Amino acid sequence: MSARIASFAITAAALIALPAAAPGQGRGGDKAPAQPVVHKPIPRAADGKPDLTGTWQGGGVSITGEAGAPPLHPLPPIDPHPIRREPLAYKPEFEAKRKSLTTLDDPTLQCLLPGVPRIQTMPMPLEIVQTPKEVVILHEAFRAWRRIPINDKLTHPDDLVPTWMGDSVGRWDGDTFVVDTIGFNDKSWIAGNGTIHSEKMHVVERYTLNNDGSLSWEATVEDPVVLTKPYVTGATLRAPIDVRIEEYECIENNPDPAHMKKAAELDKSNK
Amino acid sequence: MKQGFLAALTGLGLLLTAWPAMAHHSFAAEYDSNNLITLTGVITRVDWTNPHMYIHIDVKDAGGKVSSWSLEGYPPNTLKRTGFARASLKEGDTITITAYKSKDGSNTGAGREVTFSDGSKKFAGPEGR
Repeated sequence: MSARIASFAITAAALIALPAAAPGQGRGGDKAPAQPVVHKPIPRAADGKPDLTGTWQGGGVSITGEAGAPPLHPLPPIDPHPIRREPLAYKPEFEAKRKSLTTLDDPTLQCLLPGVPRIQTMPMPLEIVQTPKEVVILHEAFRAWRRIPINDKLTHPDDLVPTWMGDSVGRWDGDTFVVDTIGFNDKSWIAGNGTIHSEKMHVVERYTLNNDGSLSWEATVEDPVVLTKPYVTGATLRAPIDVRIEEYECIENNPDPAHMKKAAELDKSNK
Repeated sequence: MKQGFLAALTGLGLLLTAWPAMAHHSFAAEYDSNNLITLTGVITRVDWTNPHMYIHIDVKDAGGKVSSWSLEGYPPNTLKRTGFARASLKEGDTITITAYKSKDGSNTGAGREVTFSDGSKKFAGPEGR
């Protein structure tokens, strides 16, 4: 359990720290001279709204590099963008269920869709396509896609059936694109191990372009059935250089569940 | 306290590897990050598949006995973006690869650093965690 918490905390640390990461920074020790942050007006679409169109990525070795292997295309430095966070707080009866689940129960282990907001934390790029009427997010991870029709009243269709990615609608709040998502099934996980939710989950995301070329993303997750208060997370997305989203057919060759099951059985029999 | 913990992690430089390295499963449930082995063998097959690529090698021990190993790596798209050339892994080539051994006892592992026959090196998968 402590390992799980640590892993979660490390992920959280990354979400906090990533935006501040300078190119080439890492354990390899890089003494590259600090570059200044370049500021310029945010791009705007013909209708005057901020233009979110483009390829974005929150993390992953291909943009951050790692010890001894800096990224092929280091990203320019950006300003720090503090990320608001509130931890997951489960009602006691659901906390017990959550703790009973292991990584073997993770839907993404079976290549199932990660849901929202978890899809945003995958270490792969996504592409946003924006029109005046609709914003579409194409995720490389799990080949997920989201259609986000724009309507100022944030009205959802009344014939929703529960789905992994839910039903999203959006509106512009000044220069921030707000996405309201409901209609989830209760099968995906919110953030990490065992982070269950109900079909009543409601996610509100805010996408805001920064004048240093980055995109701030914040998600507030409410679930009156399982959570005692909203969970808040976020990230600063970067525009990776020379990257386009490509196919990721996760179910193609997935021996991991069988290995993990056997490892868990061995572990149990050794205790 | 918690902030101190996070700050300490950041200070250790973990931030660059801490974003989930693998999209679809936990590392620790499958591989032992404390058991990094080194294998030298002949490539028998490479699976350029998702969610992971696999390098299959035949490893000969001191007594001449051959065992077959399968080492997991990053997804093909990620390898492309880190500059891991597909052509650099050819059947019949001899490579050395470090790998975190699988916890299930099989001849599998999470591949880490490949040393090619010309001595050059490239990471095929993430650092253990």
